[in-house]
Amino acid sequence: MTKLTVITPTGESRPMEADPSTSLMEAIRDAGIDGIVAECGGTAACATCHVFVDEAAQAALDPADEHEAGMLEFAAVEATPASRLSCQVRVSDLPEGAVVTLPETQL
Amino acid sequence: MPRPMPVIDDVSLAEMYDDPYPVYARLRREAPVAWLAPANIALITRFDDMIAIERDEETFPANDPRSLQIRSMGHSLMRRDGAEHAAERAVLVKSFSPPMVKSHWSPLFREIAEELVGETAPKGQGDLFTEFAAPMAARALAQIIGIPETDWQDLLWWSQALIDATGNYADLPEPWERCARASEGIDTAIDHHAALWAKAPNPSALSAMVAADWPIERIRADIKVIIGGGLNEPRDSIGTVLLGLLSDPAQLEAVKADPALGRKAFEEAVRWVAPIGMYPRRVAKETVLSDTVLPAGTAIGLSAASACRDESHFGDSAGRFDMNRPKAQHLAFGSGPHFCLGTWMARSMVGDVAVPALLARLPDLRLDPDNSPRMGGWVFRGPLFLPARWSPK
Ligand code: FES
Repeated sequence: MTKLTVITPTGESRPMEADPSTSLMEAIRDAGIDGIVAECGGTAACATCHVFVDEAAQAALDPADEHEAGMLEFAAVEATPASRLSCQVRVSDLPEGAVVTLPETQL
Repeated sequence: MPRPMPVIDDVSLAEMYDDPYPVYARLRREAPVAWLAPANIALITRFDDMIAIERDEETFPANDPRSLQIRSMGHSLMRRDGAEHAAERAVLVKSFSPPMVKSHWSPLFREIAEELVGETAPKGQGDLFTEFAAPMAARALAQIIGIPETDWQDLLWWSQALIDATGNYADLPEPWERCARASEGIDTAIDHHAALWAKAPNPSALSAMVAADWPIERIRADIKVIIGGGLNEPRDSIGTVLLGLLSDPAQLEAVKADPALGRKAFEEAVRWVAPIGMYPRRVAKETVLSDTVLPAGTAIGLSAASACRDESHFGDSAGRFDMNRPKAQHLAFGSGPHFCLGTWMARSMVGDVAVPALLARLPDLRLDPDNSPRMGGWVFRGPLFLPARWSPK
């Protein structure tokens, strides 16, 4: 299990243990944390699973590919260099203790 | 104790065609998982049940050998599951992605809209469904698919023939005959254009399929699915946005003052009257939903139209067109792995381009006081006749 901290849209800090075999989107949803909509179920087609990852995670992850980057431009809250589609991030690629911040809204 | 599935045999498909919403309201209340006898399917009408189904493709696969869609269009990606579906869809994603929509398709939508508005403006009155919504959707779709030499009127009737066959739950012979004739026309158009794009690729769906070297049967089936959904969805949503706005002066004025609100009006219109009102799944293993037993093998219909008006998500005003209601996920584009590939295309075509262009050029556009608009359909639903008036230009 990978330890993560999720900052919810209301600013609450929620520690969680994520299953490394899942995507970050699934892990956050499975933990029962609100703030991920994931309309397309993880096919990188909806941009409603937008998250911001901390610097350690940004350094550890492969950068978003062209398609993911293109989708992020259409997220409800404006994307920053920290933005990812959480369905495209594998928990196993995240550093232990990474902090993931959820945007105010996904729609 | 979960109950056996209630059987609903006191509603007719004709009644559903006219207005399915009272039936849906009753089903959500009394029998959210019910056997709809006249259509021979189990109808799922609550939002939460639909989401649960779409997230679990092992229990509820899209593939069903009995599917009317497979019979009418061939075995397309819409009726496949898992890795096979994902791989097929991945080939098409680029053509329909937001960046491609923005850079390539939106300018084209603008050209088509301007031309159509130019033709419509001098007339002073007419049916916005046939004058504007249908040609807008059909002409854009011919380009998106990659069969631009096709007459848009042909595309229109092909799409209707495919859809009528797919929704032919009463199994009448005539829709199957028409569907076969449409299929022939489509296959000819595919063959002709596929040869062109093999030499000169472009961003169209057909070109992507040709580049991926798909077998012809797969290309044919997927093109037909894109014709079916891709024509009726934008066409009917253009009509529905216009109907919603023209029926409510405050919302109409707001969009005229700020065309960027067209996107919001579009999103609310498809929630209010989902163009693709119902789509099927199969039950692979016995399961319980909303306290009702769904036996293995049952053919189910997910009612997006009903889920989009579920009071538990949209409140008691769910039946009203109100683009100012709080933002919430709706299910007009479905959800999960089959989430509509054309979502961003439709948002741009209808919300950003077509509706604002029409309102900008015809500032006093209004419903015709002497003729009432008409809606129809339950598997697919939208305006059939949208008579309006404006000052000729
Ligand atoms: S879940 Fe839709 S883009 Fe990630």
